[in-house]
Amino acid sequence: MKLLTALLFLFSVTAFGQHTISGKIVDPKGKPVPGANVFIEGTYDGGSSDDQGTFSFSTDTSGNQMLVISVLTFETQKILIDVANYQGQTVKMRESVNALDAVIVTAGTFEAGDKARVSVLKPLDIVTTAGSAGDIVAALQTLPGTQTVGESGRLFVRGGEADETQTFVDGIRVAQPYGSTTNNLPTRGRFSPFLFSGISFSTGGYSAEYGEALSSVLLLNTQDEPDQNKTDISLMTVGLGLGHTQKWAKSALSINTAYIDLAPYQKAIPQNLDWNRPYQGLSGEAVYRYGFNNGMFKMYAAFDASRFDMNQENVNRPFVKDRVELINNNFYLNTSYKGNFGVGWQLTTGLGYGYGQNKIGYNLNDIENVEHAAQLKFKLRKSFSDRFKLSFGADYFVTDFVEDYLPVIGQSGQSGYNANIAAAYTEADIFFSKKFAAKLGARVSNNNLLNETVVAPRASVAYKVAKFSQFSLAYGEFTQAPKQDYLKYFHDFESERASHYILNFQYARDRQTFRAETYYKKYDNLVKFDSVAAPLFRTVYDNSGSGYAAGLDVFWRDGRTFKNLEYWVSYSYIDTERNYRNYPYAVTPNFVADHNLSVVGKYWIEEWRSQLGVTNTFMTGRPYENPNDVRFMAGKTKGYNSLSLSWAYLLSQQKILYFSVSNVLGTQNVFGYEYTRNPDANGVYQRREITPTADRFFFVGFFWTISQDKKSNQLDNL
Amino acid sequence: MKKILFALALLTGFIGWSQTAYEKGMSKAFELWGQGNSAEASALFERIASAEKDNWLPNYYVALVNTTESFQSQDKEKVSALLNKAQAALDLEMVKNPENDEILVMQALIYTGWVAFDPMTNGMKLSAKVMELYDQALKIAPENPRAVFGRAEYEMGGAKFFGGDIKPMCAEVDRSIGLFEKFKPATPYAPQWGKDRALMVQQECKK
Repeated sequence: MKLLTALLFLFSVTAFGQHTISGKIVDPKGKPVPGANVFIEGTYDGGSSDDQGTFSFSTDTSGNQMLVISVLTFETQKILIDVANYQGQTVKMRESVNALDAVIVTAGTFEAGDKARVSVLKPLDIVTTAGSAGDIVAALQTLPGTQTVGESGRLFVRGGEADETQTFVDGIRVAQPYGSTTNNLPTRGRFSPFLFSGISFSTGGYSAEYGEALSSVLLLNTQDEPDQNKTDISLMTVGLGLGHTQKWAKSALSINTAYIDLAPYQKAIPQNLDWNRPYQGLSGEAVYRYGFNNGMFKMYAAFDASRFDMNQENVNRPFVKDRVELINNNFYLNTSYKGNFGVGWQLTTGLGYGYGQNKIGYNLNDIENVEHAAQLKFKLRKSFSDRFKLSFGADYFVTDFVEDYLPVIGQSGQSGYNANIAAAYTEADIFFSKKFAAKLGARVSNNNLLNETVVAPRASVAYKVAKFSQFSLAYGEFTQAPKQDYLKYFHDFESERASHYILNFQYARDRQTFRAETYYKKYDNLVKFDSVAAPLFRTVYDNSGSGYAAGLDVFWRDGRTFKNLEYWVSYSYIDTERNYRNYPYAVTPNFVADHNLSVVGKYWIEEWRSQLGVTNTFMTGRPYENPNDVRFMAGKTKGYNSLSLSWAYLLSQQKILYFSVSNVLGTQNVFGYEYTRNPDANGVYQRREITPTADRFFFVGFFWTISQDKKSNQLDNL
Repeated sequence: MKKILFALALLTGFIGWSQTAYEKGMSKAFELWGQGNSAEASALFERIASAEKDNWLPNYYVALVNTTESFQSQDKEKVSALLNKAQAALDLEMVKNPENDEILVMQALIYTGWVAFDPMTNGMKLSAKVMELYDQALKIAPENPRAVFGRAEYEMGGAKFFGGDIKPMCAEVDRSIGLFEKFKPATPYAPQWGKDRALMVQQECKK
């Protein structure tokens, strides 16, 4: 009898506690979702949805409980339910916007690196692209939207001048991103690709987070966490390199130094240059990181000391060369902290400081300048959900520049300026669905030197039309203070302005990317001046210039069709005119070629343990000003072509031999012409060609990595 | 007295029943997995994890089931979804047990999945991390057969690619098989997989 009571008791308890939970799981279109895991949080009670999306299970819990529904590629949902009354309900799932195939806002931006979902350049490419010789900028010049301006070596984007592109390291601006140089002698970027894991290059329409850039931003991010302790040694025909990485429990330090001396190379292979002292440079970079539980502190420091002394031909004085001597010292320090706190908050803050000192000797006259540039940055980002994120922040830039002109005869002079720019911005990232996303923002900045406040709105949207294809649209207003060459003499300017309108189509699948982008860019408030040659102290300036650029950029990358072969093709067409500087009317400036085509290929040969690389760059002629022609800037150079080859051979897992030759065919390229100031006896202005410093450049290097696991090598540093 | 006894009996019964729920759940999940129904198995492990917050094993198995599944799929989207799922589950336990050798080995396995997903991009980036994770696990548990074997197998992949010598790795595989035979899981359901695969690789070494 007692047994019976007990049984009854037990039974009734169970019966009381049992509730059935049932329903159906559907996707946003109402189609059933099979295999969803549906359960009550904190219990064993649950089940999976069947092919019709239906589920049913019983539970012993009572009252209000949290029902969890989780399934791959959808956002996990948690619903508060009353277990007594949850039968036959339909739950609509939302597709996860973190899924691999979700839309991304891409207009104007090329991503390279670890975190990018659609990566057009891989970190390795920066260095294994034939002809780039490890220069980040040279590798980026194989992307559409850029111009190859051989005599400068800087980044020229979509009809903009080189200084319209700003470079940022870990979100902080770098005031002097290039090595110092003089007339028609190309420079290279200061940064070795070695220490950076992510590179994002935007040719227009970029985020409101970045200001003081009319055309483009280049965002470099240092590695969060190095792989292991290792030492890298490089022996090259142009110098030596030494790198070391040391890891501790929570922190790591990487140091990279290079000594470059062109003297031995110059002895072996004479160049079209008359050196008194060939280029010599010592540079070093260091990154220190410390990982906190919820954040990361990084410090990046770089120094660079270089000098050269050469005799340059002067078209105005055929028998006497000009002596040009340059000594440059540069230091850059950047500290940043990025961390999470509270629910969905992220704080990014940083301080950057750059010091640049140049001593330029021009015949017997000296010019000395010193720049101090600092930036303070603060940014907060709140994730309300995967679908809505809001960020806002503030920037403060300080620039102090002084230049002394010390002529051997006559009066010395001093010029310079001190500018403070305070800026604030806000931006929202919104996913309306997995297919439709938008980014909306605005930036306000005040420049105390120009005594001016400007507002710059930015907006972009992206819509996915098919599994691999999407369209993006971007619009933005961009402003930038006039460049140093003008500001040092004259301050009563307004900021120069540009408006970008961009339409982008992208097809991206596994190891295949196609992009086509058309744009229209309108320039206003460009600086004009009245002197014949370079701007001078007494020159009259104003902001009456304007211009436009319109064009089409096409990019195709494929690593899928042919085994072991990876290649890409970039083509840009541009139509641009500007009336700025001392131009009498609007013309295409001399750094722009209408058509640019680059083809890059890399082929891995397993049996030889070798990677062969080839890069070909072609562009149509560039305009030049010919004073013998009454029309302005009416001359056009012949087309430019350069074919470069490289061969990387893995001697062993840790030793690499690398050969490269640029312009193998020895094509006689001409960048432009320099004319005499005055006509000769026959009334004709004589000219001189501006050509590359050498027809071909040979490079041989030996790279050796010493590490514990004996596996890593410097293939990605070449 | 009888009433107390009855209540006690009921209580112990209750506790006993609660233990069996975990055991029943785990056994059922392994059964599903054994039958090739890995989605159901992962779902059940996930439910058990939600109830057993202090036990690292259910989430460990969510990670293991999904990672193993990713190796069998060619569909890139699915592979990335599976690996993300595995990582999310393992992250929950890594925070609580950063010094657990089996969890470290599991993390190495997820990274190996990403390397297989896109060797060109991820090989360089993650290879050193994989090796470091195995080394870390071996520091904590020098005799963990999965760590010994996993490390050897991963290194073998690299050596084959570069045409290096695989003999030292094969010796490690042999050693791991000895360790697998000796290995006694500390608790029921603790990881004990890996011996079959090690035997397979050992066969390849003999070729």
